[in-house]
Formats: sequence, structure tokens, C-alpha cells
Amino acid sequence: MWKYPWKYAEGIVICIGLFVTGAVLQFTIGPIVLEYLKYPLNLIFGIIYCVILVAFYFLSKHNKYIFWFSKSEAAITSIVSLLILVIIMGFTRQEVIMPIDGHPHKNIGDWNLGFHQMTRSWIFALLFLYFLNILGLATIRRLASFKWKDFTFAMNHLGLFIALLAGVLGSADMQRLRMQTQLGQPEWRATTDDGQMVELPIAIELQSFTIEQYPPKLLVISNETGEALPKKQPHNLLVEETPIKGKLLDWEIEVTEFLPMAASVITQDTVKYVNFETHGATSAVYVKAKKDEQVKEGWVSAGNHMFPHRALTLNDEFSVVMPEREPKKYASGVNVYVKDGEDIQTTIEVNKPLEVEGWKIYQLSYDEVMGRWSNISIFELVRDPWLPYVYLGIIMMLIGSVGLFLVAKRKDNK
Amino acid sequence: MTITWEHFIYFAIPSIILWALGAFFAYKKSGRVPSILLTILGLLVFFAFIAAFWQSLERPPLRTMGETRLWYSFFLPIAGLITYIRWRYPWILTFSTILATVFIFVNILKPEIHNKTLMPALQSPWFAPHVIVYMFSYAMLGAGALVSLYFLLFGRKQKIETKIMDLIDNFIYVGLAFLTIGMLFGALWAKEAWGHYWSWDPKETWAAATWMGYLVYVHYRNHKPLRYKNALCVVVFGFLLLQITWFGVNYLPSAQGLSIHTYSAE
Repeated sequence: MWKYPWKYAEGIVICIGLFVTGAVLQFTIGPIVLEYLKYPLNLIFGIIYCVILVAFYFLSKHNKYIFWFSKSEAAITSIVSLLILVIIMGFTRQEVIMPIDGHPHKNIGDWNLGFHQMTRSWIFALLFLYFLNILGLATIRRLASFKWKDFTFAMNHLGLFIALLAGVLGSADMQRLRMQTQLGQPEWRATTDDGQMVELPIAIELQSFTIEQYPPKLLVISNETGEALPKKQPHNLLVEETPIKGKLLDWEIEVTEFLPMAASVITQDTVKYVNFETHGATSAVYVKAKKDEQVKEGWVSAGNHMFPHRALTLNDEFSVVMPEREPKKYASGVNVYVKDGEDIQTTIEVNKPLEVEGWKIYQLSYDEVMGRWSNISIFELVRDPWLPYVYLGIIMMLIGSVGLFLVAKRKDNK
Repeated sequence: MTITWEHFIYFAIPSIILWALGAFFAYKKSGRVPSILLTILGLLVFFAFIAAFWQSLERPPLRTMGETRLWYSFFLPIAGLITYIRWRYPWILTFSTILATVFIFVNILKPEIHNKTLMPALQSPWFAPHVIVYMFSYAMLGAGALVSLYFLLFGRKQKIETKIMDLIDNFIYVGLAFLTIGMLFGALWAKEAWGHYWSWDPKETWAAATWMGYLVYVHYRNHKPLRYKNALCVVVFGFLLLQITWFGVNYLPSAQGLSIHTYSAE
């Protein structure tokens, strides 16, 4: 070993060495905090890193040992060691612990390897960095003597290199904030993950909040346990139109009436539902259930913060219920005020974020107790100035993938 | 008329018969054209179900495991057909037909109760390409894994020819290309839906592991093109990782309650 030429054994030993070093660092320093690596420090780091890589490339021309790091043995051993860590990560429940005030919290006697927070562990970081070095060196080597047949190689390798480097360097510059808005009140303060308040140069005023719901669903539950039946694959009946017929367990179910906006009215001997087209309404359906000679009928309602839910009891064992209606779409009508800029009036919904002043504003949540009548809407605001570089890498890899597909075919022709 | 899983069998059985006939003709002299036509006909019948099902669900049938199996059994004969047309292996259609049949029967015997609801996060133009590209990739990688397994188990009696390694290379290269595209589409979509392109969600973690597994294959084949058996082992291992990504994460204790990729729980 360690005699020229280096092979797989040397690669494996290097990875084990990095693993042990990482473990020692983990034991002594504790988990990594990348939060310090903010602009412009990360940019300087990135530039220095790339310069060093290029310098190593020139050294590798004269030094066969450095040259080894841009070869297949190095690539394969580093991918495999990273793969092993990712598999461990897949089997280990990952914890989301934010460093308190930017300090890693290392408890005395905490002798674990940090695998429960893999991306903050030194072992992962060192092997990742090693992988990135090898990827970078191999890329530079190929680009230095670029021919068009290397196009796919260049796209895949350089693309991955750019995406990974920009992703890591940019992670400290990325801001993710939560903002809770109340109907009619402009809000410009948001909170970070660890609860710190941030004031923003933009303000959001919630104008309206609407939920579009799927049609109601009926289920049969066990009166005793409340479980939907049959246990593994509960039957359900989607009330898309009325009247509608279906079967739940061995009961023939017929829904004759559907009130999307309803209120319950208590009469002398029962509860009935009437149209109630205003704030706070719930949904109700009139159900007739038949099994052999038994017939049961009555109103079934999901209920909400104003009205209790109502089930139709079939017998001692079973009842028909309506679970809360699933949201099809929720959207916030907003006015966004920008410092020194024009106001924006728009709608924000899931999968349709708003982009303004370098921030992306996502619909995150609402008051779930109030459901469709919620008068608050919660947004997530994300700023990721390095995103364009990550996307550049992703697009290059997409082109590279198409190339890989074409190469696969060409190989056969030779 | 609304098409549901109850009607699946009336489309699936004719498709299987057509594919089986196609596979049979592939062994006959001058059976090439009927073989291709029969397979295509089977695919059309099968796709008719997917299209009608899609129509009556009012959303793409891509959400539940059963629905992804539907696409998988659709793409396997396509992968087989492409391979047959290009490389003329007579056995490949038999192989893809058997595999597709297995997945069809899983769906017939264990249809998950599906409904129309699709949570807001899945209502995106990225949804269909993300899953369809992945399913096509899985079909290719699955085919590669089975051929590899066959030669690993019976390779002693039968010498592995360069031609076979070329075939496996093609499966894996095409599969990896689509795997990468599926993953990157996922990243772009995640940015739009969840605010970040990569969050190490359990499904993402396993997708990364799977992807790296196949990277090992590509690099190893490049470096040691004559070490067939080692390469075949990597293909099988990669496919094991893929199984964990596809449905294994649903059962992993480490992923319980964490994955934002679990949609089938009702």
C-alpha cells in the first residue's frame, strides 16, 4: 500500500481516516454550525476553495499522488463512503435541533457520532468535502482538455459541483421566516425558527382567506373505538351530487340532501339542519341507511368550531359520520406593501408562491380550528440569494441527463 | 360512466393476453412485426384504462402506491418494446410481460380504496412529470436488476457475454438519466411547494442513496469494464435501495411521521 500506483485500498483507508478525524472533532467540538458562514465570508471561502482546487489541478500534473484524487478509484471510494453515511441517515431518525444563539450545544458526555443530525456531523462534513474535492478535480481535469465528446461529462459533473457548492455556501444566507397575518391588519414582523423576531422591508395585509373544499365523505365507524371501518381500508362514500347511493360495510346508503352551508337547529325531539349561508356555517347531509329490514335515517354533519358534529347511529356497533372536509385549495388574498416600491395586490396559494424583493412568500397554514372561517393566514417567507447558482447547476445536470440517455444509445453503435 | 378500479380487470386481462401473444411471436421467425403490433395494442388498451381512470378521478392517478404500480406496469412493456425494437432480444418481451403481470395482479388482488381528493401540495404542474419520469426510470432499473440477478444466480453455467453487459449498461444508463431528471424535477417542485429544494426528508434521503448507488455502477463500469460480477452486484444493491425509496420508507421506523412524501394514509 501507499506505493505508486494507488488503488482502491488507499482510497478506503483515506475515507476511514476522515471518518475517524470527523469522530474526534465531533466528540471534542460538537456538531457543526454553518450559520457563521454568512455573506461575504461564504463568497470569499468559495473563491479561495476554487482557487485551491485549480492549484491542486496544476500540482497534479507533476505529482502522481495528487493526480490519483481525480481518478475513478478516488471517485468510487468517496461516493461509497458518502453513500454509507446517507444510508445510516436513512435508518436514523433525524432530529431538527437548531443551535441556540448560533452556538452548537454539546453536552458533556455526549459521545455520539452525531448521526441523528447527519448534516451537522463532522464525519459527514469531512467526507462530503472530500467528495466535492474529487468531483472538482475530476471536472477541472476534463475541462482543461475539453473536447465535444466530453460535453455530457462536463454538464453532469460541473452541474453537480456548482449545485452542491452553491447549496452549502448559501445555506447560511438562506432565511426562512414565519409570518402570521390577521384579516385587515398589515404585518411586517416575522419569526425565525428559534423564535427571534425580524422586521422586514415588506408588509403583508391579509384581505381575504378562502378554502375550497372537496365534497363531504361519509364513513362508518365503530361506536366503541371510533375507528373507521373496515380497519385497514376504510370504505367511504364521496357525496359529489345528491341524491347519491352507495354501500358502506353492508349498509345501503342513500344521501338525499346536501347542505354545504348549514346550521343545526334543535327542535323538540331531534336536531335538524337548515341553510345558513353565512360565517361559521358547517356542512350537513341527510342520510338514509338500509340493511335487510332495518332502516335508519337522519342528518350527519362534520361540525366545526360553532356547531357540534353529528353522527347517524346505525345500531349498537356502528355509526355513519362525516370527517372534516378535506381542503382542495386554500388561498390568501393579500396586499403587499414594499418600502420604496409599488404595492402588490394578489393571491397566494399552495404551490403558487409570490416573489417580491428577493423573498418568496408561501402559503403555509391557517387557523385549523376555524377551518374555512379562519381569519388568520400563516405565510413562510424564504430568501435564498444563492438559489440562481443552485438552479444553474440543476439545469446543467438536466442537460447532462439527456446526454446520458443519448450516450446509452450511442454506445451500442460502436 | 365513471371508471374505477372495479373495471381495471377488464382492461388488464386483454392487455396481458396481447402482451403475452406479442412475447410469443418474438420467438417466431418473421414474428417481429406482429410481435411489435400486439405489444403496442396491449399498451393502448392499458392506457385507455389509465386515461379513463384519470378522467373520472379528475386528478392524475399518481398519488397512491396502487396508482404508481399502474404506471409501472404500463412502462415495463414500453421499456421491453424499445429494447426489443433496438436490440432484438427475443426473450425481453416475455420478461417485461411477466413483470408487468405481477404488478397488475397486485393491483387486482389488493386494490387500495382510492378517492378523488388530492391535497393542495400535490396540485402542481410538476406532479405528473415528477412521478411519471420516476416510474419510467424504475421500470428500466428494475429490468436491469432482474437481468443482473439472473446472471448472478445462473452465471456459472452460462458465460456472461459482452452483449448482456451492454444491455444492462443501457438499462442502467437510461434508468439513471430518468432517475436524475425525476429527482431534479422534484427539487424544483419542492422549492415551489415547500420553500426549499432539498430538505433531507426521509424519502429524499433514500432517493439520494439510490442515486449514489447507481453512480457507483456507472463509475465502476467505466473503470473496470471486465469485472462483470461486481458490477451486477451493484445493480442489484441499487435496486434494493430503490425499493426502500419507493415504498420501504412508508414502513421505516426512522421515517414515521416525518415524511412529507406520505400521501396514501387516509
